[in-house]
Amino acid sequence: MTVVEQVARRTHRARRITPSAPPARRRWARRLPLLPALIYMIVITQIPFIVTLWYSLQNWNLTSNAKAKFTGLSNYASVFTNANYRSSLLVSVEMTAVAVIVSMLLAVALALLLNQKVLGRGFARTLLITPFLIMPVASALLWKTTMLDPTYGLVNWLLSPFGVHHVAWLSSHPLGSIIAVLIWRWTPFMTLIVLAGLQGQPLDVLEAARVDGAGAFVIFRRMIFPHLRPYIELGTLLGSIYIVNTFDEVYSMTQGGPGTSTTNMPYYLYEQAFQAYNIGGAAALGVITVIIVMIIASFALRLIASVFRFEEAVG
Amino acid sequence: MTALHREAGYQALRGTRSSARSRPGPARRHASRRTRRFALNGIGVVVALVTLFPILWMVSTAFKPPSELYSLTPHPLPAHPTLGNFTAVLNGQAAGLGISFWIFARNSLYVTVVTVVLASVVSLLAAVAVARFRFRFRAAYLIMLLIVQMLPAQALVIPLFIDFRGIGLLDSLTGLILIYTAQALPISIWLLRNFVAAVPRDLEEAASIDGAGPVRVFWRILFPLVAPGLVATSIFSFITAWNEFIFALTFLLNDQSKFTLPIYVQFFFGKGTADWGGIMAASTLYTIPVMLFFLFVQRRMVGGLVAGAVKG
Repeated sequence: MTVVEQVARRTHRARRITPSAPPARRRWARRLPLLPALIYMIVITQIPFIVTLWYSLQNWNLTSNAKAKFTGLSNYASVFTNANYRSSLLVSVEMTAVAVIVSMLLAVALALLLNQKVLGRGFARTLLITPFLIMPVASALLWKTTMLDPTYGLVNWLLSPFGVHHVAWLSSHPLGSIIAVLIWRWTPFMTLIVLAGLQGQPLDVLEAARVDGAGAFVIFRRMIFPHLRPYIELGTLLGSIYIVNTFDEVYSMTQGGPGTSTTNMPYYLYEQAFQAYNIGGAAALGVITVIIVMIIASFALRLIASVFRFEEAVG
Repeated sequence: MTALHREAGYQALRGTRSSARSRPGPARRHASRRTRRFALNGIGVVVALVTLFPILWMVSTAFKPPSELYSLTPHPLPAHPTLGNFTAVLNGQAAGLGISFWIFARNSLYVTVVTVVLASVVSLLAAVAVARFRFRFRAAYLIMLLIVQMLPAQALVIPLFIDFRGIGLLDSLTGLILIYTAQALPISIWLLRNFVAAVPRDLEEAASIDGAGPVRVFWRILFPLVAPGLVATSIFSFITAWNEFIFALTFLLNDQSKFTLPIYVQFFFGKGTADWGGIMAASTLYTIPVMLFFLFVQRRMVGGLVAGAVKG
């Protein structure tokens, strides 16, 4: 059953039965199955977040015996004045922007390719998911050792005919290396989203355009791209939300180094909280990360809503 | 697509009939289509290789003896495949600590299975409520789920660390299960909601007219029909719990026998990264359960979708 049908059914059903205020006991019986999930999530995710807000207003270091002191917004002030904080913000922005844009471009190309009758198409679609199934730590170590090693690494060996020799990728291009791994990991995810969009487009319309003599480029620009746009935007936003939070790759490949060149916000937060035990500062950083994610997410939510409304209109 | 095609396309769009000169003859069109198909297939193969290659490399490296691991001209397949790396990992020699891989595999499996079961039960209940009943704040609840899904782990790790320190849940697998379940819930509820909504309501109504109580309707009618969806949804909770890193890294501090696999791999191999064979063998062993689970679930997932498509 397609999403369209489901949405259509659901709206139909909603119209058919509009209950006229059931008795209070029945009303609570309806909410009962919801309660475990609701309580669970409030306890494990909502309350801790409010607690993070509270910590971020305090000067509290776990190593000293001094009690936490309320300091207002001073942690936030230092986030924006301290050079290390700002550098972690910049690294996060660069890492996310480059990784998301490049993997989305690749994803569109790949999805167009996989939507054609290509050799082993079904097989390739199944395999696309594999980089996603490998745990991030394992793939990070795989890239760090066998792929990017300066002496025995595969990448240098493959590039040696082009005059590249013994490049220590992780020390000379640390951020680029991590971004490359992120692209490898996230392109399949984006491709699957774009593919879902492509498959929602009726083929006979495209065929009609082709019969009328429209070229591939024109078909893409005028017909496929406008249809894909919401999916591309959705993939970009979801990708950004997840890639902003990249931690595993940074931890396993560079530990934020050399220097602070790959220290993004999540890694800096980790250093502050669990190596410097600066709870207040780390909490402030966490709150700022959440605000950034929420800004991206609000666009994503609106988009999800509009995609669903669109499908409802079609169904 | 050739320039000729494109030219023809532009002319067609502008409404001018293309002349006989610019329209390729059937033979030429056939040839160009064949080269195009050939090129597409070529690109397809290259893409598959680039995506998969690192993974193939991981498995092949795991079978290489030390003499072949560090060679200046890398070979895709080991010349003398060996199980040495795997035995070293399994009996604990590879990590140099004497703790077998099995201990960590058991920890990870325990955490993952309990998380999957817990998340499935809680999210199925919630999904039924959200899909079947209308009540106030239903939309707000669904949106809250999406927002929670997007909340970065870093925002929660500090207060949960301090709380768990207070109630003795650090160095404990139970603590991790609690967190992983919370992380898996939102997406599970969203996905399951669709599966529940796809079950025709008439079936349940018929059963309750025949005198079945709500619990019986749930177990006998709804649950068997939603079960394939439940299996499909569990892949997400499985991956969440199996691969999670930052909470395990920060919460499992002192007790090495409690480490889950990602922490084991990072802790024992990530520091020195000298033993490539060991790293790759451990990573391969670690990836196999996920692949198996995915292949198993994927068949079910397709089955579930087909089952949903049959209208009641």
